[in-house]
Amino acid sequence: MRKVLCTILAGVMTASLLAGCGGGSSDSGNGGNSSAAAGGSAGGSQEINIGINTDLTSLDPHNHNDTASAYATRHIYSNLVRLTEDNEFVGDLADSWEYIDDVTVEFTLKEGVKFHDGSTLTAEDVKFSLESQKESPKVGHLVSMIDSVEVKDDTHFVIHMNEPSNALVSSLNHSGCAIFSKAHVEKLLAEGKKIEDEPMGTGPYKFEGWTPGASFTLVKNPDYFNPERAAQNDKLTFKVISEDSARTIALENGELDLLISVPTTDAGKIRDNNKLALDEYTSTHVEYFTVNETKAPFDNVKVRQALSHAINKADIVVASVNNEGKTFDNYIGAAAIGYYDVVTKYDYDVEKAKALLAEAGYGDGFSFTCYVAGSTRATTATVIQANLAELGITMNIEQMEASTFYEKTGNGEHDACLAGWVANAEPDNTYRPLFTSANSGAGGNRSFYKNPEIDKLVDDAAVNRDKAAVQNDYETILKTLSDEAVWVPLYTPTGLIARNAELKGMTPSPIQMHDFYALHY
Amino acid sequence: MHKYVIKRLIMLIPVVIGVSFLVFFIMSLAPGDTARTILGEDAPIEAIEALNEELGLNDPVLIRYGRYMVGLAHGDLGTSYKSGRSVFTEVMSRFPDTLKLAFWGMVFAVVLSIPIGIISATKQYSLIDSVSMVFALLGVATPNFWLGLMLIIGFSLHLRWFPSGGSEGWKALVLPVITLGTGCMANITRTTRSSMLEVIRQDYIRTAKAKGVGYRSVIYKHALKNALIPVVTVIGLQFGSLLGGAVLTEAVFSWPGVGTYLVNSIKAKDTPAVLGCVIIFSICFSIVNLCVDILYAYIDPRIKSKYK
Amino acid sequence: MENKKAKKRSMTVEVCQRLARNKMAMLGLAILVVLVLCAVFADVIADYETKVVAQNIANRLKGPSAEHWFGTDEFGRDIFARIIHGSRVSLVVGLISVSVSLILGGILGAFAGFYSGRVDNVIMRVMDIFLAVPSTLLAMTIVAALGSSLVNVMLAIGVSGIPTYARIVRAAVMSVKDQEFVEASRAIGATNVTTIFREIIPNCLAPIIVQATLSVAGAILSTASLSFIGLGVQPPDPEWGAMLSGGRNFLRDAVHLTLFPGLAIVITILALNLLGDGLRDALDPRLKQ
Repeated sequence: MRKVLCTILAGVMTASLLAGCGGGSSDSGNGGNSSAAAGGSAGGSQEINIGINTDLTSLDPHNHNDTASAYATRHIYSNLVRLTEDNEFVGDLADSWEYIDDVTVEFTLKEGVKFHDGSTLTAEDVKFSLESQKESPKVGHLVSMIDSVEVKDDTHFVIHMNEPSNALVSSLNHSGCAIFSKAHVEKLLAEGKKIEDEPMGTGPYKFEGWTPGASFTLVKNPDYFNPERAAQNDKLTFKVISEDSARTIALENGELDLLISVPTTDAGKIRDNNKLALDEYTSTHVEYFTVNETKAPFDNVKVRQALSHAINKADIVVASVNNEGKTFDNYIGAAAIGYYDVVTKYDYDVEKAKALLAEAGYGDGFSFTCYVAGSTRATTATVIQANLAELGITMNIEQMEASTFYEKTGNGEHDACLAGWVANAEPDNTYRPLFTSANSGAGGNRSFYKNPEIDKLVDDAAVNRDKAAVQNDYETILKTLSDEAVWVPLYTPTGLIARNAELKGMTPSPIQMHDFYALHY
Repeated sequence: MHKYVIKRLIMLIPVVIGVSFLVFFIMSLAPGDTARTILGEDAPIEAIEALNEELGLNDPVLIRYGRYMVGLAHGDLGTSYKSGRSVFTEVMSRFPDTLKLAFWGMVFAVVLSIPIGIISATKQYSLIDSVSMVFALLGVATPNFWLGLMLIIGFSLHLRWFPSGGSEGWKALVLPVITLGTGCMANITRTTRSSMLEVIRQDYIRTAKAKGVGYRSVIYKHALKNALIPVVTVIGLQFGSLLGGAVLTEAVFSWPGVGTYLVNSIKAKDTPAVLGCVIIFSICFSIVNLCVDILYAYIDPRIKSKYK
Repeated sequence: MENKKAKKRSMTVEVCQRLARNKMAMLGLAILVVLVLCAVFADVIADYETKVVAQNIANRLKGPSAEHWFGTDEFGRDIFARIIHGSRVSLVVGLISVSVSLILGGILGAFAGFYSGRVDNVIMRVMDIFLAVPSTLLAMTIVAALGSSLVNVMLAIGVSGIPTYARIVRAAVMSVKDQEFVEASRAIGATNVTTIFREIIPNCLAPIIVQATLSVAGAILSTASLSFIGLGVQPPDPEWGAMLSGGRNFLRDAVHLTLFPGLAIVITILALNLLGDGLRDALDPRLKQ
């Protein structure tokens, strides 16, 4: 009896285990034998393994707003327009477009674009995609200016906006504005499925498989409409490796051909390795320190200026990103549209900081708490803490989860916080959330800096069709922000992509929307 | 006995309710802007508010809990805030990998540690005893993630024997299993040793020895069986912590299991996802505990008599 | 049974004598004494303001030297000084969190095991609820909910350890409660509570001590794990686990960042275990000679 029971128990355990093995291997059975290509062998079937640090959240472009998911959906779907390396918008599915008036734009689609299932793209698909996008809580806001899409014929349609907006074209480049096949989506929905169950678009790759938490795979679409941008490899496998050092080792081992989000501690090792190459690019990423301007003493501009002089940005670059970055004085990334080098700069000068603090009546210092999320920012905070200690200012650090951080800083509970921003292709998407009164707190303006002048300028830049006037608006904003020392901009991390030295065709995107179609050995 | 098992299985229902209440309560203590975490830094405030409303996050905690429990009563684990997919599907797609890791980790630990524990106990104060106990102590003293990183550097980077991550094939299993197993190996070794020592000193063992029963037979037939009770407890307990403790191992080796999913969900305040993982863990773990208790009964007849 | 107090005193003396004969236990005790002295006199050994928190970025990631015995960390701070001050944090976290779980879990487990039946069922079902949430994750959720701080870390680790003790104590109680000395105690009219505390708990001390020594280690490691996922002690406080996690990105180039805090952890845990083992042997009433 005893033996029988033991056998049964053992049997249950083994059965569940075997079930586990079976499940695991059937999911990953397709991607097993791909690392051989890493040796740099040209010709034959080319499979590129790309290391990323987080998994995608959804294969439905309307159901995500994150970089990892965009790696998949941007290659499966196409947009009406795309952004070139020179920060210009050109047609992708759209052949051309023309402003009829401030709120009406007529688009012409390219002829004969085929979906992965062989059907032809029409203006009806565009209308369907953009109008259903408006319902999405995640990316609907991108097309909030669109009132309706009017189909003229198969390749012509008109977008009617409910108010003038300069953001229309740049938004259409966002991964959320991908174009679906109306027939395919309606069929899926009728079957009770979701778009992400069978992603299908007009992009250079078809979806092959996704093992949540582990990897996702795309295969070449041989019938892609644009030969110049057709896939030069056969398969892209994105491997999720969350641990920094393991990611680098996987590249060194040849398990990966390309590595995005390179750990800064390993950049030097990759440079020194002659089998590997490190591509550097200027990103639109800015890290900054900001105080809550509704709280004393931070409502005093002299105190903010004193902090700007007191923080040693060069030390922060060394400690936080191991010197893989540059100190920064501006409020929008140097590679971004809408960046102008007009700001007032504050050098690291402890004496000046002390003088300003004394002028403001805080010569003896004060104490406050700085909220941070994430280990890199905790490192940054630790340097700032030591810098401010020299002025007699005690800064306590409170490290928390991102969700808690958003909640607390959104409510204005913080005295100060550390944050970062990666600008996308539309400057309004940076200036509006970060610096307007209406977005104080949870909207993104964690400085709680309120200035009606700035609000007006942001509104004007969003709709004014005169480029010189828009530039003037933004320059004035930047000057004002820096004179008022709203932030202490800290540094901009260098964009890093590591790869097998033999791998060709990588062109990094400053807004981190990299294209991988051109990768090949 | 059957009655007892059925009773215990029915007892799972209050456990599940208790667990869901406990976790829901803790999660609701944590301040967090779920919609902002999902939509990212650059989403406008209108989108954040709309999503919070759609997810029902503006309602009071008790109403949300009630809504969740109504769904749970219908066997629905809810929908992840973050991905919008069914939590059950999400967890189940990752569960086999975590189970595989935990099971082999346990096998690795048990196969090595019980013999080591017995040898240490029978050769108390000998060199073998000291060496194996130091080994056991080092195992428990070495932080899991640090050991994992060291193994990656040694066996993946330098020797290139095993991959640094992923879950494809048996090779990918080796380093995570060693990393995970080492921690509880120490615990099982120690428990085996101390429990064996305890038993060896009992009168009936001395009696057996005095009666001229062979040494090996005394150890393996009489002593081991009685020494196993605390060992089985520890194994049962360890299995639970293995399932959950796989979190760090999963992180280090990019193992696509439930642990990583759960940690990310806790960080994102994705309450339905956290609850779903924990409820499935709790059912699984309660079943393991039940097995432990049944094993007790068969190892120790005194306890068995109580179940009748 | 008469003259109980005198007997107890002589037992304590006997235990101490037995303990003193155990060289490994004495070694463990010696290490722990040194650690406690380090913690008490940390400010004398290395000044907090100038050595522990003051940074020197130009001098970062330097290997061990005459000036910095254990080298410097990513901020150019002296690792030796930080480890000395870290002993305070680690010992406090370890002791307090284990006391929380030991006291609460032990009491619950003893009652469950002793009374069996309904009491057992209620207590153990509640424990099952806690146990069903893996302790690391329970601790994580609690710290994430209450916020990262030393007190919350201790509380979270302490609470998540309760069911472990409850189960172990319960199992131990169940295995001793039918033995003669317990029955004898009951027979002479001792109350249940007295029996639990006078007879049963002392007689199942061995597994509890073994578990407690491991748990202090476990608490220190849990703190490190929480730090690993960003939920630990707040900077710039020197905590060994946080130092270990902070140095993990430099593992390949500057191994001293993780090596020395790691060794500090290992040595502490080793010492605790050696002492715990010695105590177990010394306390065992059946062990003569």
